[in-house]
Amino acid sequence: MVPLSNYLVLSAIIFSLGAYGVLARRNAVLILMSVELMLNAVSLNFIAFAAYLDPTKVTGAIFAIFVITVAAAEVGLALAIVIRLFRNRATSNVDEAATLKW
Amino acid sequence: MGAHQAWLLAAIPAGMFVLLALFGRYLPRKGDYLGVLAIGTSFVLFFFVLGDFLHVGPQHWPIVETIQWSNIGSFHLRMGTFVDPITIVMLGVVTTVALMVNIFSIGYMKGEPRYYWYFAVLQLFVAAMLFLVMADNLLMVYMSWELVGVCSFLLIGFYWEKRSATEAAKKAFITTRVGDVGLFIGIILLWKATGTFNIQEIIQQAQAGQIGHTYLFVSVMFVFLGCMGKSAQVPFHVWLPDAMEGPTPVSALIHAATMVVAGVYLTARLLPLFEVASGALLVVTIVGLVTAILTGLMALAQTDIKKVLAYSTVGQLGFMFVALGSGRPDIAMFHLMTHAFFKSLLFLGSGSVISATHHNQEMDRLGGLWKKMPITGTTFLAGCLALSGVIPFAGFWSKDEILHATETWSGGWAFILLSFAAILTAFYTTRLFIRTFMGEPKDREVYEHTHESPLVMTLPLIFLGILTCVAGLVIWNGVGRALGFPGGITEFIFLTEPERYHFDWVLAGASIGIAGVGIFGAAWLYWGNSLEKSTKLAEWNPGLYQLLVRKFYFDDFYQAVIDRGVLGFSYIVAWFDRYVVNDTGVDGSAQITGYSGYILKYLQTGRVPNYAMGIALGVVGLAIAGLVVRG
Repeated sequence: MVPLSNYLVLSAIIFSLGAYGVLARRNAVLILMSVELMLNAVSLNFIAFAAYLDPTKVTGAIFAIFVITVAAAEVGLALAIVIRLFRNRATSNVDEAATLKW
Repeated sequence: MGAHQAWLLAAIPAGMFVLLALFGRYLPRKGDYLGVLAIGTSFVLFFFVLGDFLHVGPQHWPIVETIQWSNIGSFHLRMGTFVDPITIVMLGVVTTVALMVNIFSIGYMKGEPRYYWYFAVLQLFVAAMLFLVMADNLLMVYMSWELVGVCSFLLIGFYWEKRSATEAAKKAFITTRVGDVGLFIGIILLWKATGTFNIQEIIQQAQAGQIGHTYLFVSVMFVFLGCMGKSAQVPFHVWLPDAMEGPTPVSALIHAATMVVAGVYLTARLLPLFEVASGALLVVTIVGLVTAILTGLMALAQTDIKKVLAYSTVGQLGFMFVALGSGRPDIAMFHLMTHAFFKSLLFLGSGSVISATHHNQEMDRLGGLWKKMPITGTTFLAGCLALSGVIPFAGFWSKDEILHATETWSGGWAFILLSFAAILTAFYTTRLFIRTFMGEPKDREVYEHTHESPLVMTLPLIFLGILTCVAGLVIWNGVGRALGFPGGITEFIFLTEPERYHFDWVLAGASIGIAGVGIFGAAWLYWGNSLEKSTKLAEWNPGLYQLLVRKFYFDDFYQAVIDRGVLGFSYIVAWFDRYVVNDTGVDGSAQITGYSGYILKYLQTGRVPNYAMGIALGVVGLAIAGLVVRG
């Protein structure tokens, strides 16, 4: 059986990649994709812990399903915003969408 | 109706106050006759109380009637009436003088604004004063004590359109308040030591030695502070002369005959405490002596009729305190009674003069009024003779007894000082009479327009004049028995230690001599009553004259203390409030918030990556912090 630590390490790597993408990328669509990576890393963690701690219970799996649901809704909303942004500004660079400030 | 229902005496005027205050202005004649009716009823009921009191006999005195007032946990507060000979004397004095003043006021206050309100407050005052003298516990005493103070304030400031009247009202209220705080502290201290407000229980516990000696002395001194304030003893005397801004009948009732003697009454009531706390009586005597002499000197240079009478009132109250300090509450109450009669007579007489001369009360513009106002003049003369202590007027008997008591008690020094005060009293009284009623009129115009006052004003004068002539005789045991009392007034009051009244010829001679020195001295200086004579006297020693006219600089001293001390302190407090509390505290915190917001707003860049970085760093920071804390 694959030890738990392997799953956790994989999850951490995916999460870090996602975090790096969110921080480093300027394209709104790529940022969204990175956020999805982070969410999936979290889901992986849930599933791994659920299977290892008590396989009879489905708590972790339910959490993962919730995360997927929320992620789907979030992407739907965020992509709509990105489309509106592109329509108005002809760009998807988040640095140029900085009017909401002091 | 008996002594158990004595509370009715106070309840009737109290009810009439409510009626007059609410509806007085709509009643015909503004309800003045209702005021007279209410106090007249109390006056009549007093005789029922007196009859019942004498009927049950000394073995059943005092007559106590109490009801449950309130229960706070295990603490039961009872209130009730306590009728003993001292209360009987006070009830008689208050109802008699109040009735006379009410009748007199109908004439004197005619056509004044707020006529109904004047009579309403008089009712409230009488009710409060009667409650005060009947109270069986200190809490009731304090409540009615404040209530009479409020009435005094309202009536001194009755002509509130005049600035001097409002100032005088404030001064009276604040000055007595200084003493009243002492009284309140004293009451609380006594309650803390004994667990009761009941006066008799406190006295019993004190006499049983259950209160520490120093503790008792301190609490008694605090109570006495209140008595000094109310009775205008030095150094609280400054408010009483200014209180003459009120209507003159009010001066007669409140600031001569009744309210100002509340201090004497309370001290007499609590005298057993003063006796247990050794040294307290000496303080009482010294305060009384200093007051009697200082105010006697101050009265010498006054030119306002009412001010002279006001200073003499303070002085006579000093005499009463000296009597109390000698351990003789009976004599103090006796002098209180005679003084109430002749001093209210003098004040009402001066009111008659003032109203007849169209509000002229400066002696420099009066003179020769006896011919114009025979009834006022004659009754005023009776009052002056009583005040000077001429036999057989009321003042002679009581003053003689006080001198006698001080001589027995102190063995000399207090007697000599008090005799000096008595000479001064006779002197300024004679000066007052000569300059107002005798000689040539100094202001022809004022004189020509003067006329005798109407019957409603002269009748009370005549009644009080008769009392002034005969009231002193109750000192004789024979007179007391003939009236149904168990003896003369000292035996009536001093039941525990009945003393036979002796007429001491030597002392009476000395007393008459004292009065004679004062009267003839003044007559020699002022006879003929010309302005030149008084001017020459004033110029004889300008420094001394200034000292007396400025009343020993008491008022100037207080004014300076208030200006420098109080206002200076207020200035510091105001500075602290403005610059520290307001500018630094209130405005400062707002400015810090505003400025930090101004700086920190630049964190709001509007760039999503910056926010994302913030969140990421925050998470990392939290993780590190968690590791550090967990170890």
